[in-house]
Amino acid sequence: MKKARILVVDDSIAIANSLCTILKISGFEVDSAFNGSDALRKIHSSDYDVVICDIEMPGITGLELLGKVRRDFDRELDVILMTGYLDHDYFIEAIRLGASDFIRKPVDTQQIVRSIHSLIEKKQSRNDYSDFYQNTEHADFHFVLDPKQFSKFAISKVFNAFLRQSFQFNHNLLNELLICVDEMVYNAFIHGTLDLSISERTLDHDALQKLIQERLQDPEIAQKRLRFSLCVDHVANIIQISVEDDGKGFDYENWLNRMAMSPKLNLDEHGRGISMLYHLADKLEFSKEGRKVTVSKIISTSV
Amino acid sequence: MNIELAINGNVASMKIEGILNSENAHVLQEKLAEVIAAKVNLLELDLFDCRNISSTGIGKILLFYKDFISTGGEIEVVRSSNSVYELFSMLKLNQLFTVNLG
Repeated sequence: MKKARILVVDDSIAIANSLCTILKISGFEVDSAFNGSDALRKIHSSDYDVVICDIEMPGITGLELLGKVRRDFDRELDVILMTGYLDHDYFIEAIRLGASDFIRKPVDTQQIVRSIHSLIEKKQSRNDYSDFYQNTEHADFHFVLDPKQFSKFAISKVFNAFLRQSFQFNHNLLNELLICVDEMVYNAFIHGTLDLSISERTLDHDALQKLIQERLQDPEIAQKRLRFSLCVDHVANIIQISVEDDGKGFDYENWLNRMAMSPKLNLDEHGRGISMLYHLADKLEFSKEGRKVTVSKIISTSV
Repeated sequence: MNIELAINGNVASMKIEGILNSENAHVLQEKLAEVIAAKVNLLELDLFDCRNISSTGIGKILLFYKDFISTGGEIEVVRSSNSVYELFSMLKLNQLFTVNLG
């Protein structure tokens, strides 16, 4: 059975090393970081099962680190906080931010090992769900979005949570997929659905939101839909994302020809999204007069 | 996504963490407006913990760039993640300002 991977974060090198030794003896694979910045870097580049973090650290504190982990990983990564003072306010804040457990310093070895085992067991049952999807040969999901609900869903966040829970993609692939989804859905909404001009798109946030709400009152716009589909094919080793809108489409062939040539610096307010998709996709296709865009990404390069 | 901004004399230091996309690009726009208001002449961008940037985020940076250089300002990306460095290179933004990797 694969050893659980633990990251120990404490600005005291002696305490971090001591805890690492105890956890290694207890059968875990252990790594350490001595400040919040290093910890975040390691968390973003490696897969840990549990992070054990001191609350009182210079720079990024344990609570701040917990907040950043929850923001980027939702509830997928467990964080145990350690402190010498079980201050009531700290405790409330840690619970609010989603700490998985709270351990008093000096650390009781048996207590922390029990806590880790308990979290690993819960994580395993969550993983059973994603393991199921991992064994599927082919999965197709199709969603139809009402533009009035667009901002409510925060598509990138929903998609991020869905992919993290359902499929075990590596960090780079996941990040690139999230940017592709953002480009595709945002363009379908801003261009295909709302048909905003360049000057309208560059309004400040509040003015743009007001304009969007006004446009959505127009029955012709309100009846438009965004069609989002996701196809995961583990046999072909491909993930495909498509977004289709009910807009006018655009001259995609002209844009693709421009992309195929050596890219030039573009300070204009249009065309950058297509350049990004062209750069990030293993295959980029348009159809239906440019109303539908499909990005294909290879899931793993080591099959 | 999280943005930290510090103004020190003529230099603004901005650190962006996470993914900068269409849903949060307006936060960057507001922070960049603070940089303009502070009348600094150098913006140091730390993008080492920035995992990726969408075209909306790039658009905000370029809109700021046009305003900033017209007042004699300069931008330097002091650190960037691999994905952001590749993106800036692909879009040729390294022709506008220095982009350092890692």
